[in-house]
Amino acid sequence: MSMLTVQDLQKSFGKFEAVKGVSFTVEKGESFGLLGPNGAGKSTMINMITGLYPPTSGEIHMKDIDVIKSPKQAQKWIGVVPQEIALYQSMSARENLRFWGRMYDLSGNSLEKSIDQVLEIIGLTERAKDKVETFSGGMKRRVNIGAAILHKPELLIMDEPTVGIDPQSRNHILETVKRLNSEGMTIIYTSHYMEEVEYLCERIGIVDYGQLIASGTLRELRESIGDHSRIFLTIEKDHLSEEKLTKSLLGFFPEKNFELQDHQVMVFHKEPQLILSDFIQLVTQTGTKITSVNIVEPNLESVFLHLTGRKLRD
Amino acid sequence: MLKIWTIISIRLKEFFKSPGSLVLMFVMPALFSWIFGGIAVNSEQSKPLVNIVLKGDSKVNTEIVKLLKKDDHFEWKMESRSQAEKNVAEQDALAAVVLPADIGERVRVKKPIFDVIVQRKSEDYLALSGFLEGTAALVVQSYQATLQFEDEAFPQVLAAITTSKGVTVEKQMIQKDTNNLVEINLLFVGFAIMFMMFGLSGAASTILDERIGGTWGRMMVSPASKLQISLGYLLAYFCMGWIQLAVLMTTMNLLFSTTWGKLLYFIPFASLVILCVVGFGLMIAGIVKTKQQASAISAVLIVSTCMLGGVYWPIDVVPEVMQKIALAVPQTWAMAGFKEIISGSLHTGTLMKDLAALLGFTILFMFVGFRGIKFE
Repeated sequence: MSMLTVQDLQKSFGKFEAVKGVSFTVEKGESFGLLGPNGAGKSTMINMITGLYPPTSGEIHMKDIDVIKSPKQAQKWIGVVPQEIALYQSMSARENLRFWGRMYDLSGNSLEKSIDQVLEIIGLTERAKDKVETFSGGMKRRVNIGAAILHKPELLIMDEPTVGIDPQSRNHILETVKRLNSEGMTIIYTSHYMEEVEYLCERIGIVDYGQLIASGTLRELRESIGDHSRIFLTIEKDHLSEEKLTKSLLGFFPEKNFELQDHQVMVFHKEPQLILSDFIQLVTQTGTKITSVNIVEPNLESVFLHLTGRKLRD
Repeated sequence: MLKIWTIISIRLKEFFKSPGSLVLMFVMPALFSWIFGGIAVNSEQSKPLVNIVLKGDSKVNTEIVKLLKKDDHFEWKMESRSQAEKNVAEQDALAAVVLPADIGERVRVKKPIFDVIVQRKSEDYLALSGFLEGTAALVVQSYQATLQFEDEAFPQVLAAITTSKGVTVEKQMIQKDTNNLVEINLLFVGFAIMFMMFGLSGAASTILDERIGGTWGRMMVSPASKLQISLGYLLAYFCMGWIQLAVLMTTMNLLFSTTWGKLLYFIPFASLVILCVVGFGLMIAGIVKTKQQASAISAVLIVSTCMLGGVYWPIDVVPEVMQKIALAVPQTWAMAGFKEIISGSLHTGTLMKDLAALLGFTILFMFVGFRGIKFE
């Protein structure tokens, strides 16, 4: 049985359709990433899965629990790391963890033991008694995660947990998530940082305009766009004759797998090394002066670009 | 139950850690009550000082002094002329009354009996001058009535007048004094209600803060039910209200020895008033979208309804139309109920009416509040 099954999920706010019939499954122990630009509908999906919003239509099952009908039953097994730092700033890290632990029915020694373990995981044992308002953004984010894992949830849902923090804290958080996943916790991780999703998630769903436009492992997604690399050729603006260059490129790439924008030429190709020297020669022959050449292996960015025709951070 | 208690405790902790809330809930009402209550109490206790200056130490003057001292609305004190003039100049004394050495001479030449030194003709002075004129007339009449007798007759008549009660009091009524005490105690209760409304509506608007901060949403995705969360907040604010009232009651009791009537009646009634105020705060939290809106709407509603409801002044002093309009605000019923309890009247019918009205307001406020608060 899958840990989470989402079927034809749809959510409208008035006339605006935020999520348009999304379906996916997440298996037990898996880490599933939801990748998409801001406003793509990721948080709305998460809010429905966690039982915060009722969907307009569709089904959500966590194992055999119908999340829409019995959200409180499902929420016992779900840990949620919201996008905001959902903590009481004037309270200490320990007090915050104690509060959220009690909201998940933990009490007494087991609660205190859990708090100690979590403080160790998030690396804040030494600062346990300090008020959250005195913490850096990264430390607050770590407590934010700590509050979600106190009750040892089976499914941990993280909604952009690394927004606005320093690289050191980000690394700590990514390592923590990796460790939790390796210990058997199922993870759903939403982000618009591709490198995080690539690093953490076994399977990835790409979301745009409220739709899940592709899903699969990184390899499957790369293959879905033909596993093409990208060659970026930067040229000196003064020596650029667009018309002449386009004509030559069309002769060399009759399938039109190139783009000419500003003073850069981008070419999609499965084996860039094979064509690189001929390509450079062709461009030089048009009288264009090349300033740099860069080959980018296929990644989530290129997958997203290929699927949506725009960059992830556009 | 653990979840409800957890919410109560975190709200109380946050409340006690916020200096702003503490000032609004305890310092401000205590200060206002101390200032305005102190004025009211002092106005009851302190009497205007009037100095008496004797130009001659005669039996007649001794009797006239006794006659003057019969008016206990003033504090009478013998002083030398120079000291009396200084006291009046510095407004330590309302006035100084100078008694001449020879009253008879004054009467004969038809000059006023008393010379009065006064700095400012205040309301108190007007009351004093009326009394002095009356006394002077009495002295003149006594003098004229005893002209044909021995010299001793004049002071004897004055002594007889001084000792005479004038009016027979068959039943001693202490209603007036009790009423004044009740009014002063109600002033304290009024301030407590007003600041409780400010404090609790401010506290209830923390729900908005929590929504913005994300803790509200996080609580909603925890296994805690809406009922548990609602009860947690409701009871937390109820506790805050009671803590505030208890602190103020104790403070006022220590400062001004105020009494609160029978606690058996006071506690349940005050509990309903607090619940009503909590409902008001939740209603504000439910109908506004930002903290700025909450502050503005709270301020307007609280000040206007407190004015209307007899929190600042007794409702009996406003026109009848206003008294009718005042029935539409909960403070009117709260103050009326407290008056019944503090005065010791405890008229069951009136109390039940006040309770029913307050209960109605509480249910209405809670209904609007909980409908407005978004549990998402």
